[in-house]
Amino acid sequence: MKYAFFLGCLIPAREPSYENSIRKIAPELGVELVEMEGANCCAPFSIQSVDYASWLALAARNLCLAEGLGLDILTLCNDCYESLLMTNAILKDDAELRNKVNEILADVGLEFKGKINVKSFIDVLYEDVGLEKVKNSVKEPFNGLKVAVQPGCHLTKPKRIHFGERMGITALDELVEATGAKSIAYERKEACCGGPLRGVNDEVASQVAKHKLDSIKGSGADCIVTVCPFCYIELDMGQLEIKRHLKEEYNLPVLHFAELLRMAMGMILTDLEIRSHKISLNRVLKDRLQEE
Amino acid sequence: MLDADFMHEVANTPRGRGILKCIQCGRCTSSCPVARVVEEHNPRKLMEIIILGLRSDVLPKTLPWHCLSCFTCLDRCPQGGDVGEAMFAIRNLAVREGNIPAGILAQARSLFETGRVVTPTRTALIQRKKYGLGKEPAFDVEAVQKILRKTSFDKLIYKGS
Amino acid sequence: MLEQHAALVIGGGISGIQASLDLASRGIKVYLVEKTPSIGGRMAQLDKTFPTMDCSMCILAPKMIDCAHNPNVKLMTYSEVKEVKGSAGNFTVKALKKARYVDEAKCTGCGICAQHCPAEVPNEFDEKIGMRKAIYMPFPQAVPRVMTVDKENCIECGLCEKVCDLKAVNLNQQPEEIELNVGAIIVATGFDLFDPAVIPAYGYGRYKDVITALELERLLCASGPTGGHLIRPSDGKIPRSIAFIQCVGSRDRRDWIGNAYCSSICCKYAVKDAVLVKEHIPDARVAIFYIDLRAFGRGFQEFVNRAKTEYGIIFVRSSPGEISEDPTTRSLTLWFEDTTTRSVQNLNFDLVVLCSALIPRKGIKELADILGIEVDKYGFFKPYDALAHPVDTTIPGIFVSGYCLGPKTGDIPDSITQGSATAARVVEVLAGGR
Repeated sequence: MKYAFFLGCLIPAREPSYENSIRKIAPELGVELVEMEGANCCAPFSIQSVDYASWLALAARNLCLAEGLGLDILTLCNDCYESLLMTNAILKDDAELRNKVNEILADVGLEFKGKINVKSFIDVLYEDVGLEKVKNSVKEPFNGLKVAVQPGCHLTKPKRIHFGERMGITALDELVEATGAKSIAYERKEACCGGPLRGVNDEVASQVAKHKLDSIKGSGADCIVTVCPFCYIELDMGQLEIKRHLKEEYNLPVLHFAELLRMAMGMILTDLEIRSHKISLNRVLKDRLQEE
Repeated sequence: MLDADFMHEVANTPRGRGILKCIQCGRCTSSCPVARVVEEHNPRKLMEIIILGLRSDVLPKTLPWHCLSCFTCLDRCPQGGDVGEAMFAIRNLAVREGNIPAGILAQARSLFETGRVVTPTRTALIQRKKYGLGKEPAFDVEAVQKILRKTSFDKLIYKGS
Repeated sequence: MLEQHAALVIGGGISGIQASLDLASRGIKVYLVEKTPSIGGRMAQLDKTFPTMDCSMCILAPKMIDCAHNPNVKLMTYSEVKEVKGSAGNFTVKALKKARYVDEAKCTGCGICAQHCPAEVPNEFDEKIGMRKAIYMPFPQAVPRVMTVDKENCIECGLCEKVCDLKAVNLNQQPEEIELNVGAIIVATGFDLFDPAVIPAYGYGRYKDVITALELERLLCASGPTGGHLIRPSDGKIPRSIAFIQCVGSRDRRDWIGNAYCSSICCKYAVKDAVLVKEHIPDARVAIFYIDLRAFGRGFQEFVNRAKTEYGIIFVRSSPGEISEDPTTRSLTLWFEDTTTRSVQNLNFDLVVLCSALIPRKGIKELADILGIEVDKYGFFKPYDALAHPVDTTIPGIFVSGYCLGPKTGDIPDSITQGSATAARVVEVLAGGR
């Protein structure tokens, strides 16, 4: 299984450990990641807020690069996923818009043809690799570690873009449980983490994150597992912000699903990677040590 | 001053078509995570003042910039009002009139100048080296600038360019 | 009397019952075919009905008894129509009388068999709140007043057969195919409720105290599973605050919901139910959350005004976003924006009633195919002409009445009216007209 690997801006800029985990687990699952040379920013929510045509053209350029490779795109970040998925759907469907965007892309020598699909890492694991194979790759399962899954808004919403094509939240729950951890139900599972407003309106971002974290705390979960780097930053570093400004502490470690799976596959996280998490991973690591 | 055409202006802006379907039921605001925290962020009210034509109460204000684009409202709207999408349309119109928050502007300028909305911190570069991840991905700034000049994006984010 | 001067009525709810009685009084033989073990339909499940606030069963039961005793009405309960051939004036119908494993001629409905039956199953008549046995009578006023064995849940212990003094139980009974010859057919199959679990934000199915309006009716009804005591399904306590949410699945264009229409009776019954709740629990805080309050027709706006002033029922113009449950107290929290005051707030309630859309009955498409009549995009039967021939179908001699025609029809008086209208059309056809 080969994919055009769309890394996006945020992961290399803030969370290289996420990239590291993906590169380590992909080969174990038979997933080959092909670099998208010269890929540009996907045009996330902030850029879409500025201008529509710019968004479509920038996102379409990436789709063209993948088309050039003849491969479906694999993304990690929910915002990239949403931007590319929506653009792909819009341009495949609307001939007039497609022509307009291709006029812009002609300047950079590209043409959108609508030949590939956009998938998130979760889609790839669930639909292409399959739950069985993921389960079989787990060599050191967790001992019922209680996980509050944070799917993130753009993994499954708007439903009409994702519905029927993607399993979304259920897929993520099943994948988490394949590692031996337990996915805990909590009220505000589908609620937003507040991430998009971080750096734009920090106060509101913190208050929205707080609602989410309150709900997770009440559910008795040991940790939070994320898919999207925005959610990760908002819930990890965000806990420090909330402690400082709203005087509330949660001590809920946050880690990416890729890191969870990597540990379950028997690989250890390096000290540096562990320390890059702002909230200590002790509660998660304790579960690993229970094995011995 | 009421602008009778404002609703149709929004309806004809990309992503704004749903405004014509709104029945003001309030389910969007009832679902919005920001509405529970910020009193003035009220998606239903935004639709209401657009429909009423209160242009000057919308475009220069901060109301549309609190939206998280979480799309909870869009998924719950029973009529296809697509509030979450209309938010983008409103923001696009606001930017054209010179209203853009500092945080968004910073990301937009970073995109134009480096091809990416956020650039790596020193810590990230050190971590990258330590994990053995190899060279940093290169972003094709030239291609990005060509595209963004063609769409006049640069004119929106730099005064007098 | 020629056999062709007979009519078939499919569906034993109030609409089909009215049609049957009208036809019978004209000397026309009526076969009243009903899928479930008893006639009565939805009206039998209700507590009190607007506008008269009469006890529903008190109005319905005499009509049901009439059907049982009328020499011109041949009740065929626990039966289904399987094939229809022919044309107006001369239809040949094949009906399957399902095996109820009880001899209708011998059974007196005494219920001793049920007392001994060890198998318990959620009671569909009580909207699965209460339980029934595998051998059961759906409700005390059932017509015919006989027991039925639900073979799917029967554990075949044979106790019922043993304890019946009248030897009415026959566990070897076979289904019977019956051929009927009729001149005209009336379809009056009624409605089902949209399953609110399709809207996860409201928590139906996850939270026990989020219920549908039909479940509320069963809780309010003196012959219901709680003897008419309105209690919370989760802990049996008396609810001190009750919310009604309108338009759950109605007026909803989303693909996965698909009922863009207004179900037309929910605003009416919600206000009626709110008043009944207040009569049961006078100091309860009762609120109705609506998008538009459709208070049309005789006496209804006045009823709404009384609900506000005399009963203190709170009307909030808002469609709530979500419901959450406190895991320890089981208290339900409703998040909503009051659109008149523009304030986003949350309120706690002990019980939430979802006024869910009314949709076509399960199996309606198959019946439409058997009859050769058309259904609309929602699955309701299509009238021949929605304006001028509202109870005719595209097939001459086949007529439709009641909610199975869709939400254009309204409440009980409308269903009764249409029952009589279709009866009149049938008389025309049997007299040689069209």
